[in-house]
Amino acid sequence: MKAIYIFLLFVVVVLAQIFVPARMIYDQENVIATGTAYKFKTQPVDPSDPFKGKYIRLNYDVNSAPSNDTTWIPSAPIYITLTTDEAGFAMVKAISKEVPGDLDYLELKANWYNAYEKRVEFSLPFDEFYMNETKAYDAEVAHANAQRDSVPNNTYALVYVLNGRAVLDNVFINEVPIGDYVEKR
Amino acid sequence: MKSKIIDELPELVKNQVISEEIALRIRNFYQSQQSDAPGKLFTVFGVLGALLVGLGIILILAHNWDDFSRSLKTFLAFLPLIIGQFLVGYAILKKKSSTWKEASGTFLFFAVGGSIALVSQIYNIPGDLSAYVLIWIVLCLPLIYLLKSHSVAILHTVFSTFYACSLGYGFNAAPQVPWLYLLLMVLMLPHYVHLLKQHPQANMTSIFNWLVPLSVIITLGAFLERNGDLGYLMYVILFGLFYSVGKIPAFHTQKLRRNGYLIFGSFGTIILLLITSFNGIWDFKMDAAVFTSREFYITSFLFCLSSGLLVYLYRKQWLKRTNLFHFVFIIFTVVFFSGLANGVMATIAVNVLVLALGLITIKIGTDQFHFGILNYGLLIITALIVCRFFDTDMSYIIRGFLFVSVGIGFFFTNYVMLKKKKSILKSNN
Repeated sequence: MKAIYIFLLFVVVVLAQIFVPARMIYDQENVIATGTAYKFKTQPVDPSDPFKGKYIRLNYDVNSAPSNDTTWIPSAPIYITLTTDEAGFAMVKAISKEVPGDLDYLELKANWYNAYEKRVEFSLPFDEFYMNETKAYDAEVAHANAQRDSVPNNTYALVYVLNGRAVLDNVFINEVPIGDYVEKR
Repeated sequence: MKSKIIDELPELVKNQVISEEIALRIRNFYQSQQSDAPGKLFTVFGVLGALLVGLGIILILAHNWDDFSRSLKTFLAFLPLIIGQFLVGYAILKKKSSTWKEASGTFLFFAVGGSIALVSQIYNIPGDLSAYVLIWIVLCLPLIYLLKSHSVAILHTVFSTFYACSLGYGFNAAPQVPWLYLLLMVLMLPHYVHLLKQHPQANMTSIFNWLVPLSVIITLGAFLERNGDLGYLMYVILFGLFYSVGKIPAFHTQKLRRNGYLIFGSFGTIILLLITSFNGIWDFKMDAAVFTSREFYITSFLFCLSSGLLVYLYRKQWLKRTNLFHFVFIIFTVVFFSGLANGVMATIAVNVLVLALGLITIKIGTDQFHFGILNYGLLIITALIVCRFFDTDMSYIIRGFLFVSVGIGFFFTNYVMLKKKKSILKSNN
């Protein structure tokens, strides 16, 4: 094959290689720009990823919703609509198996149905917050220390929600971004 | 050596041992070889350099420079990708050497993975490792053919294996079957076949002769889910298949160390038989549902493939001498399913099978005067005895005698063969 044809095929590959990360960026930016911001109470711990670097894994307080329906299938898609409590933190308004008409909903996967407590258990997917490698462990310690003051849980994740998608923007301890909070200590 | 011959050339021409023309041809021959050798070395270093730089960039970016703004970090995520693409594009357009293509292709491979990883990091996109690796591999797959790059093909195979393992062996909560691995390997196959046809003797080809079966061996277990016990049978049949593949002339005519299929097939068979020679293994809990399971279908498919290849080898008369190794997978299949009912009989049958394989290997070794094969046979029998050492109630004296006699057997057979070889050499002289 002539070099020019190979090159043209390569251009197609180049476009695909650029398209994938560019599309990822576009999707995320779109949610941040037009979505609604929610604060999810959370607790960070510190693992790492070989390619992406250090992150803190976030365990959210929102992890189940009441339901009398017992036919929830593990790993099947579920939809939760969101609202805020009096303190301004996110809470589940309703849970369903169909896409709700509401804009502020999340598409998740059911873990299992807790028949005893009559609750559907799930995990929020935006549970990885990437941090500078020197700060990730400190962040976990900072959270543990901040727990000791008067407010019960003062660590939350700021998440933008739009049409089932969610983008984790930042994590705050006592209203200070966790990266800055760690630096100040 | 070469320079010595070239230095001697004027002397040889002067004394009319060779003509001027022949001297010139000898000189040209060595010069062309010399210009080829450093090229290969360059390629190896070029690829290694690109590999290290690519991995280094991923690590540097993974540090997470949180002082930088989001847009600057995004720019940095694309920078290595654009540089890699520019280099590869340049290599294609300017028809650069294979060194250029291999090195730039390797760099671009890592730049693609790096850029996706970094975007995930910047936007905190939760990572499903296998999905991420899959996108990475697919985006780089065309490079194998556009650049005719062996190093990208190797990376493709390694990362496909990694993908299959991370998906199938359940590092995550729920393991899934990595069917796409099969497709990824099939898409790489034309490159490998081309290599086998065009450069059967090249070192690169023998790397693939080892890498491809190794990848399949590692991955096969990822297709098992509930009926893990069928795995023993599956692997014995797979090793039978590899043994037969190793007998195809394209591989069999090569040196043994280039024939990964034959060696994996033979070693794998022996190791699995040794494992199943323990009585404790044969207490499988299987019911009729096994026969409709995915594992059973895969096993049946492999069995048909192995038997089909064996028949094909016969038809083509590529098997000059058959030995028990060719049929182990058939015998084991029969033993396996009869063993579901009777574990003791199966244990005995497998032990006899390993013993027979050991003896036959010794026989082949002596017939061919091949010390390697002879000692491999002795090793099989030793391994069998060592295994029995652990699980029988035999008295220490009997076991002691067994070891001593096998030890003596080692010395004796090697000694006899050495003597025979010497006497044949003498008579030839």
